[in-house]
Amino acid sequence: MSHEAVLHGDAHGHDDHGHHEHHDTFLTKYVFSQDHKMIAKQFLITGMVWAVLGGLMSVLFRLQLGYPDSTFPFLEDLLGKWGKGGRITPEAYYALVTTHGTVLVFFVLTAGLSGTFANFLIPLQVGARDMASPFMNMLSYWFFFAASIVMLSSMFVETGPFSGGWTAYPPLSALGDASPGSKTGMDLWIISMALFVVSSLLGGLNYIATILNMRTKGMSMTRLPLTIWALFFTAVLGVLSFPVLFSGFILLIFDRNFGTSFYLSDIFVNGVGALPNEGGSAILYQHLFWFLGHPEVYIILLPAMGMVSEILSINSRKPIFGYMAMIGSLFAIAILAFLVWAHHMFVTGLNPFLGSVFVLLTLLIAVPSAIKVFNWLTTLWRGNIRFTPAMLFAIGFVSLFISGGLTGIWLGNSALDIHLHDTYFVIAHFHIVMGVASMFGMFAGIYHWFPKMYGKQLNNTLGYIHFWVTIAGAYLIFWPMHYEGLAGMPRRYYDFSIWESFKQFGELNKFISLVSMIVFMVQLLFLFNFFYSIFKGRKLTKQNPWDATTLEWTAPINPGHGNWVGEIPEVHRWPYDYGKDGVDFIAQTTPVGADESQH
Amino acid sequence: MSTATVETTKSWGGGKSPFNVEYGKLMMWYFLMSDAFTFGAFLISYGTIRFSTNGWPDPNEVFRSFPFAPEGVHAPLVFVSVMTFILIVSSVTMVLAVKAGHEMNKKDVVKYMIWTIIGGIAFLSCQAWEWNHLHHEGAWWGRNPFINADGTASSTNFTNYFFTITGFHGFHVFTGVLINIIMLIMTLLDKFEQRGHYLMIEKAGLYWHFVDLVWVFVFTCFYLV
Amino acid sequence: MSHTAQHEENHGNGEVKKVTIILSVLTIVELILGFWMIGITSEALRLAIKGTIIILMMAKAFYIVAYFMHLKHELKNLIMTIVVPLGLFIWFIIAFLYDGNSFRNLRNTYDPYFKERSTIKVEKKAEGHGAGHEAGATHEAAADTTAHAKDTAAVENKH
Repeated sequence: MSHEAVLHGDAHGHDDHGHHEHHDTFLTKYVFSQDHKMIAKQFLITGMVWAVLGGLMSVLFRLQLGYPDSTFPFLEDLLGKWGKGGRITPEAYYALVTTHGTVLVFFVLTAGLSGTFANFLIPLQVGARDMASPFMNMLSYWFFFAASIVMLSSMFVETGPFSGGWTAYPPLSALGDASPGSKTGMDLWIISMALFVVSSLLGGLNYIATILNMRTKGMSMTRLPLTIWALFFTAVLGVLSFPVLFSGFILLIFDRNFGTSFYLSDIFVNGVGALPNEGGSAILYQHLFWFLGHPEVYIILLPAMGMVSEILSINSRKPIFGYMAMIGSLFAIAILAFLVWAHHMFVTGLNPFLGSVFVLLTLLIAVPSAIKVFNWLTTLWRGNIRFTPAMLFAIGFVSLFISGGLTGIWLGNSALDIHLHDTYFVIAHFHIVMGVASMFGMFAGIYHWFPKMYGKQLNNTLGYIHFWVTIAGAYLIFWPMHYEGLAGMPRRYYDFSIWESFKQFGELNKFISLVSMIVFMVQLLFLFNFFYSIFKGRKLTKQNPWDATTLEWTAPINPGHGNWVGEIPEVHRWPYDYGKDGVDFIAQTTPVGADESQH
Repeated sequence: MSTATVETTKSWGGGKSPFNVEYGKLMMWYFLMSDAFTFGAFLISYGTIRFSTNGWPDPNEVFRSFPFAPEGVHAPLVFVSVMTFILIVSSVTMVLAVKAGHEMNKKDVVKYMIWTIIGGIAFLSCQAWEWNHLHHEGAWWGRNPFINADGTASSTNFTNYFFTITGFHGFHVFTGVLINIIMLIMTLLDKFEQRGHYLMIEKAGLYWHFVDLVWVFVFTCFYLV
Repeated sequence: MSHTAQHEENHGNGEVKKVTIILSVLTIVELILGFWMIGITSEALRLAIKGTIIILMMAKAFYIVAYFMHLKHELKNLIMTIVVPLGLFIWFIIAFLYDGNSFRNLRNTYDPYFKERSTIKVEKKAEGHGAGHEAGATHEAAADTTAHAKDTAAVENKH
């Protein structure tokens, strides 16, 4: 075997797959599939299930926050002893908040977002038959699935799921008796997260290797669509930061089960006395956690940024403004993501001087972020904009990223953060900039690539309703929270009605809760649109419905395993030749003409 | 397109690996980088706790025994030096195995793989002896019979970190030995001869050297400084 | 494979021997420094030796990665993609250790119990293997008393 053949052994192996499609059984086609497109759909649908569950949890605890004095008999039917007397118990409230955070951050916006789109888009857009290692790719999904099952089962144990916040700080997470969910709930939580780390590692290694090694002829790195660049940096962030969390969890497991005191020291429990643990440091856990936790924010955000760049350019019929600057800013964000973790810890007893260094590094993120925002805006500028639902969600993403990003500058200042830390201001900030914004990126991606995924069209009218209600709802929910936070209203409290100073927000909280329910309903409408369209949607007639330049649209409408029939197309140009020389778009596969102008 | 792009298309232009390595080796490298962060996080946590504690046991007082030592004879660093050399030597034999693989020399691959496996097992046995010895002295997770170098009482974190980190490293050595045994069996079954290359041995070699590399850090952090 | 094999011969067995010798020498120097350090009480000198040992450790790591793991002979791009992310360790280490140190200073300043405990000398454990379990028991007893002392301290603080 020649050297060249060794390098591409697997890629060539797939050449046959397309022709042997009919040999697939149900099990190999839909369950243990090694086709990256099917794995992407598995990630997407599992992510959607979690999104519904996580969203439902938020509606439930918003019910408590908005109507602390009312009782809802259906809660007792739904939650049993956790909703005694039609009111969510404090334990259940904390469990819901914790699970909502964990599920949305890790399962929906990490696995559901980059798992779906990295799997789906990387081979299609770089021009590969499949991932570098399709088997590892399948394993990645099944580890995620196992993590999901374990997390789900933690909700049905007698003492409830873990309830110490998604960050799982010790001592609540390290002492089994600290809270109802700290024992079995926390055990399951850790197992689930460990499985998740393995899943994301298997996936990430695959994405990196595929992007570097499996590009088709002519697809140099500077001809990659920005989506791929973003997914590449996302994978790098995951591969480098998740192991640190993993180490932190191993130490936590020892603290929980083997009498060590890595994170425990000087703990006095009423009625029990002083615990024998000496010499540990709870701050150490927070450092380890946030060393993952901050890159994790960008693991969530970068794929959305990449897809939005792509969609904005396609639907403005203009090349993306500042392609190299976009890559550079992605790189800068990826590096800075690892240097700023302690800005989550300004009030934990962190050294103030060290804190000020972290302030400086944190504020530096504003530079690449601003570059991206201005590039998006200038891409839109004088564009021939087509307001498809995907485009609307992409524009919504930019809007949310700006509004949420600006409050990040406030929170990045340690002096201001001392006042704002752990208030609703923080909730508003990170929900807008990372939660809702990434969700918008995900919606944009789904609306845009749905035709490629299923060969059908989504219903546009439902898409418009979905967008307008969601964007209005997102701002109506989270904008008022800034004011609550500035007034000092702390997060993670069960009932605000007993404080004189927060009584003024009673009506506002009610309003927020009401809007959150409406927004949740509209997401169900989207789900209806999604599943209805898979089966009954309009059949795609055009191979390239958005007139896009990238490679995935040169594949058949319903590509088999192996993606392209015959040879993989060769690439001759960058992916953003829109409106060049008066031509609407020139596909990447078109050779450069002799009289073509330079870009 | 500018001329610069045309030049770089040679390695980066797609259709081939820009690094001239197959994807498996690339993945192995990035996996090791990721694993470096796992170990890094452990060792940095250990350092952080050491920096936030006033006293710390003197390693020369703790690790001063070796097998079959006469009663009352203490020799700090001796046993751990032996362990270090075992691992270095097994790393060298692994290099030779990889080299033999490049030359398609099955006999040498088998020979050096066997030596590497023996080295790995010897290291694990040494570690087992040391753990057992320390356990007999009363040390374990959550139990620390040793006192600080300055004569004050020590927290249990000395033993906690020692057992966790050397344990995690030992687990890596163990998996490394398993991988090497599988590679040996595959070599004996002529799997690589049929494939026409011994790249799997090379990947196993990368893992094995990484285990050696981590030991360099563990050895320094726990036994020397 | 042919060109790789050729490549191999350029830095063949001679290189392996050379690196093996370098690694052994570095380890022996480390061990000599380690032995030398046992008798030294001067904090400054100890720190200097520790610093030297860490530099030697980095040198060993370099030789293993560069030659045994063959990284030096890979393409420059591959070297960069591996070395650059490892640069993240610099700030990782500095920030963690700096904050660890700061945490000790905080506790020494504001936690009298922590400060006091680190000045109380305890009895050195008995020599030899046989006394192992006894020593463990002593320590547990010591932990008991300290826990008790802390108990009292906590109660006193309440008043």
